Amino acid sequence: SEWSSERSIQIPKEQLPPEKPIIIKCRSPEKETFTCWWKPASDGGLLTKHTLLYSKEGEEKVYECPDYKTAGPNSCYFDKKHTSFWTIYNITVRATNEMGSNVSDPHYVDVTYIVQPDPPVNITLELKKSIKRKPYLVLTWSPPPLADVRSGWLTLEYELRLKPEEGEEWETIFVGQQTQCKMFSLNPGKRYIVQIHCKPDHHGLWSEWSPEMYIEIPTDF
Amino acid sequence: MYTHSTALTFCLSNTCTDLQDERYAQGRGFIAKAVNSCHTASLTTPEDKEQAQQIHHEDLLNLILRVLRSWNDPLIHLASEVQRIKEAPETILWKAVEIEEQNKRLLEGMEKIVGRVHSGEVENDIYTPWDGLPSLQLADEDSRLFAFYNLLHCLRRDSHKIDNYLKVLKCRLIHDNNC
Ligand code: NA
Ligand code: NA
Ligand code: NA
Repeated sequence: SEWSSERSIQIPKEQLPPEKPIIIKCRSPEKETFTCWWKPASDGGLLTKHTLLYSKEGEEKVYECPDYKTAGPNSCYFDKKHTSFWTIYNITVRATNEMGSNVSDPHYVDVTYIVQPDPPVNITLELKKSIKRKPYLVLTWSPPPLADVRSGWLTLEYELRLKPEEGEEWETIFVGQQTQCKMFSLNPGKRYIVQIHCKPDHHGLWSEWSPEMYIEIPTDF
Repeated sequence: MYTHSTALTFCLSNTCTDLQDERYAQGRGFIAKAVNSCHTASLTTPEDKEQAQQIHHEDLLNLILRVLRSWNDPLIHLASEVQRIKEAPETILWKAVEIEEQNKRLLEGMEKIVGRVHSGEVENDIYTPWDGLPSLQLADEDSRLFAFYNLLHCLRRDSHKIDNYLKVLKCRLIHDNNC
């Protein structure tokens, strides 16, 4: 005979506690606040809630994340009030569903060492000509807007890189704390790509490179 | 004067970075153990920008002096004990000596600044004692290496802290908060 009409049955998924969440990284953009991000635990089909818990060196107390909202999903934002330097934070993320919970490996962080600024802004370029000497280019820029460098709390150092548009290799120039750089030995008539990034002095990480900027070197350069 | 001191601490923290390899430390679980273990932790120092800006400059200078004085003793021992680590490369040996020298020079510079600010009187006897020498001489290699790691972790932290405070003071007192 013909096969009977199709029927389907749903076998319920095995219900398990969530796996371990993983703390991806923590970053402070301005040396005043910081954010930590995690990869959520796979949830086994159940609704899973993530909780970030932390303790600070020199204190017994365990606190919960002060702000899950500001920095988006799977993150915790620590505002100025909750950010201290030269102290180790012991951070864990707990994933919980109705079957149980699982805790990430602890992440130890001293905010002093996770400062990664945004890229420099207001990059300008000027060709200087004078009678006495060869023409040269002056590149100037400003620190990223979030960084308060005036107070001395955060000191930034800069590095720039450039290459001819069709070139393969970048030339990198470290300029220290200056926010300008003079360039003399460029090839006349060529188009160059320039980018700048910055990093806190001593510790912390380089920012992303600023967007590519193109400069046209005059033929009489 | 400030610039001079700042340059010295700059060298200090660079040297510390060389001496202390973070990956190595993570691998051995040293970081977790390093919590709550700096002998200068009992000195209450500004923990963020606002605290650093609110503290009176004389108080901040005195704090810096206390931290520096608290390092005299451990640095002398660090320089001599590090010579006995089998796996220590040559560069580390002379750098440890260099750190000790730099701390001395920085301390002298700071004593002069504070002396000037106070117009004379400098509190002489205030520092936090260090009792970590036995741990640098432990027979067990792993425990001894941890003691070194930890001392360098604390040194790096304190030298960065001092450098940061000096920069805040310089911008406040010399550049009217417009560095
Ligand atoms: Na704070
Ligand atoms: Na800095
Ligand atoms: Na530290």
